[in-house]
Amino acid sequence: MTRRKQMEIVLTAALAAASCATTMTVGSHVERGLDFSTYRTFDWGPADALPAGDPRLTRNPFFNDHVQGAMETQLAARGLALSTTGTPDLLIHYHANISERIDVNHLDRRYGYCAVDDCPVDTIRYEAGTLVVDIVDARSNTLVWRGWAQNAVGDMLDDPKAMRRIIVQAVARMLERFPRTLSSERRAGHGRRTP
Amino acid sequence: MNAATIRLSRLAALAVSALMLTGCATMSVGSYLARGLDLHAYHTFDWGPPDALSTGDPRLDNNRFFDERVRSQAERMLDARGFQRVTSGAPDLLIHYHVNISQDVHVSHRDRGDRERGGFDRDPYVYDAGTLVIDLVDPRTETLVWRGWATGSMEGAIDDQAWMDARIDEAVTRILERLPRAR
Repeated sequence: MTRRKQMEIVLTAALAAASCATTMTVGSHVERGLDFSTYRTFDWGPADALPAGDPRLTRNPFFNDHVQGAMETQLAARGLALSTTGTPDLLIHYHANISERIDVNHLDRRYGYCAVDDCPVDTIRYEAGTLVVDIVDARSNTLVWRGWAQNAVGDMLDDPKAMRRIIVQAVARMLERFPRTLSSERRAGHGRRTP
Repeated sequence: MNAATIRLSRLAALAVSALMLTGCATMSVGSYLARGLDLHAYHTFDWGPPDALSTGDPRLDNNRFFDERVRSQAERMLDARGFQRVTSGAPDLLIHYHVNISQDVHVSHRDRGDRERGGFDRDPYVYDAGTLVIDLVDPRTETLVWRGWATGSMEGAIDDQAWMDARIDEAVTRILERLPRAR
């Protein structure tokens, strides 16, 4: 194997690792036509009993502390205060899950390292973390908004600083999607895109 | 939920895992009518107990937005097929559904002529495959009368509510179009 070839492999592997480690995806579902501006206060709902898929996240106080801190900051910025009366407008639940996923990379072909049809592909196995936040109307006890962020977990669980940074980013990005007025009907129905 | 109903929903879950193996990027749909059964004896339906199994995707577990979309589209389709929903008394049929999301790898078989050779295409690729199974059960005999299913890509669709709704509507419609009309 030539030195150049070795370099290419190292570069490809580095790019591949970076590509799945840095792309966070967020999404949300909302009850359409609901006026979210009537909500003023929130509180934390009882912790869920769903398995996290990873013992490092089960009853992890640092993780919980970071999530709750980030949520409180983001909700305060949207005019929602932590309830002091014991009768909040909204109850918040969250759930974290880690599962193993795979990805296939074609960098070698895309960047011209390989031009034949039977180019090798890199299969990457990684741990995908999902943080799901449920916001429930406390009076009707119905889910009015669910948001989530997904990211490769990487070394996050062993690095408290990285964990905090990723959680803060995840919560900020998903809450950008949280409505503070009448939730939109505009996207309802037929906005389908073909994958 | 009695033992027979639990057995039936486990069967639905098993069917989902079997179907996952044949999953592909386009939506494929199928159905099965129990041998020797006449669907014309059935006129009314109601929802059976919801299925407590995980969907395999934390975004969809206990997600009322997903659940309500499946139910409303199924009710619309069953109504169009001549079945009437009864919420009191004894319905002729109980309807259950089960959904599963899991990663799948798409590999085309160029040598078999599935697609043209050459070009910088993205193959193989990984995507989120979704399978929806709808079961109609006769509550008197506790037997599965009819089963329909659809399997296809949900890649990117769960993160976008309008797109997810459209995928659900398409899957439910195409499944229940295969159900014989009630008389």
